[in-house]
Amino acid sequence: MKLFNKCLLAGMTALALLGAAQAAGAQETDQVGRAPYLESLKGKKVIFVPISQGMDLNQAWVMVWQRHAARYGFSLEVRDPNGDTNAGIRAMQGAIAEKPDLIIVQNPDVQTYARLLKQAQAAGIKVLQVNMQSATQTDSYVGNDWIEMGRLEMGELAKHCTGPNAVSHKVVWLAGVQTGAANIYMRTGIDEVLKANPELQLVSDQPADYISEKARQITETVLQQHPDLCGIMGIWDNAEVGAGAAVAAAGKQDQVTIVTNGAGAATGCESIKNGLLDVIFNFNAPIQGEIAAQQISELLQHPDRKAGSEKTIFFGPITRVDKTNATGRNCWKPEDIK
Amino acid sequence: MPGSGKSDDRRLGFKASQEVVVVAISVVLFVVFSATLNNFLSQGNIIAILKNVSILGTLAVGMGFVVVGRGIDLTMVAVMVVGVAFSIWVSTWGIDFTLAVICGAILVAAIGLFTGVMVAVAEVPPIFATLAIASSVYGSGRIVFASDVLYAPPDIAWLKFVGNGSVLGVPMSVVIFGAVAAMMGLFLRKTRFGRLVYATGDNPNAARTTGLPTRPIIVTQYVISALIAFTAGIIMTGLVTGIDTRLYNSSLIYDVLLVVVLGGIGLSGGQGGVRNVIAGTILVGILTNGMTILNFSYTSQNLIKSVILLGALAIDAIINPRDEQTSQSGDI
Repeated sequence: MKLFNKCLLAGMTALALLGAAQAAGAQETDQVGRAPYLESLKGKKVIFVPISQGMDLNQAWVMVWQRHAARYGFSLEVRDPNGDTNAGIRAMQGAIAEKPDLIIVQNPDVQTYARLLKQAQAAGIKVLQVNMQSATQTDSYVGNDWIEMGRLEMGELAKHCTGPNAVSHKVVWLAGVQTGAANIYMRTGIDEVLKANPELQLVSDQPADYISEKARQITETVLQQHPDLCGIMGIWDNAEVGAGAAVAAAGKQDQVTIVTNGAGAATGCESIKNGLLDVIFNFNAPIQGEIAAQQISELLQHPDRKAGSEKTIFFGPITRVDKTNATGRNCWKPEDIK
Repeated sequence: MPGSGKSDDRRLGFKASQEVVVVAISVVLFVVFSATLNNFLSQGNIIAILKNVSILGTLAVGMGFVVVGRGIDLTMVAVMVVGVAFSIWVSTWGIDFTLAVICGAILVAAIGLFTGVMVAVAEVPPIFATLAIASSVYGSGRIVFASDVLYAPPDIAWLKFVGNGSVLGVPMSVVIFGAVAAMMGLFLRKTRFGRLVYATGDNPNAARTTGLPTRPIIVTQYVISALIAFTAGIIMTGLVTGIDTRLYNSSLIYDVLLVVVLGGIGLSGGQGGVRNVIAGTILVGILTNGMTILNFSYTSQNLIKSVILLGALAIDAIINPRDEQTSQSGDI
């Protein structure tokens, strides 16, 4: 019997030790800070007010954020005003009234939401602006460095149109919506390059309003005035295909360099491949979306921090895409992101 | 009906004068721009002007047709973008693009039919019916297509020809606009149906009382205008390789109205024709071309166009006054 008791005791001791070891092991593998991170995101409410969900960049952002929201248990609601600024104001007012933990906003211009963003922050709602800034700076901005974008695009044209072999020094700036942050800041970058290259001639500065047919019409008219045009720069690849179509119709694809920027969707790469566009400065919307997703996490983790008390800016990477690298992750498709 | 009485003779005289004013302004602008702007008076630029107004002009022919019948069709841009986007969407299922375009045309005709029934049978005032239907059509499109911009499949020979081809040096887009305008002109002036459209527009109640089939006439008008809008959309797709459905949110529909009213087709119906549409289209074309060359800002371009539209509406109100008879016989 003694032997049996000893064996039982030894067995129980071994089990207890094993249990303790397991408990200790569990403690060691619990990632530091993970539990409070998960806790801080769970059940939070995020509202996104875009310009329009019909744009490639918006679709990419939302797909990334929805994945993030599903993984960490917060809700993401999209209030799409579909390009209507008045509907956007109403969407913003509605969002502020609902007091979510975070509002993400893509501003149609620098002014329209400026007061609403102040109101949101005064109501204790944190605000993350994406890609298009307002005159009001909020907790965070994730998006392009648009001044740099203007410099890059006009710099590309300066390379082509100031050399000894350049057909002329004439360039065109096909703007988008002139009151938009992207346009205003790009213009600063453009002017810097124009100042540094005084021989460059900006022969037309017309807004195509992000519409390809308008870009085509302007380009067609300008080409009649300046048959020796050297370069065109624009603001969205989907609009500048119109400029490309006008250049192609005039048989001047070898003469006129068309530079624009875009979210990196496969359609842009197709436009490069079929010769409608030459260079796209790609701000890769899925990558932008990932940066913004981390910023969402950051803002939700600190509910005690007062809205607007800290201001952060994240400029995403910009890749120069031409015929040589119009492949792979420079050309995403919606199904790649899902 | 036009020419059927003394008052109509007087009205015809005024109508002619508005058209003459528009043509005269066009001529003055043309001369001034030719003298002051480099390369304005070049063959290339004249073709560019025509090419740039071909879509606007085509849409205006459809709108003019409806306005003659005392209607208004604010669905045209929505129908144009959604109809073509639908065709492109259908072609992504592996269906031949030409067949997909036919599917799009059928959808568009069905929308036109529905609009016509709402106006003619349900008797919803055209401005409200078409405003609401435009919004529904565009909204439905947005739900189905996800993206605003849809690209047509590459290597469709006939579509490339529509965009880049030419006949005797005239771009295909201009040829199509000319063909649509010519057919409409002949239809309105030379067919019995065309004359019935004028009669209905002139006084719908009188037309109905005298036994004219006003309802089928109105329904047909909206079906035809929808199909013309679709044609304009196909021209656009040929020109820029795809269709941008956000055009619905642009001022295009107002530009179309501008062309129609400016050209001298009175909103009170029963008068005017394709010649007026062409006069209005050419003026807007010269103006836009000149403003683009002069590098006018977008805001000032819109301001100038809006002032001209307002002026044209005021002239229309003066020369086609609303009287007891017109207000009783329905308003747009």
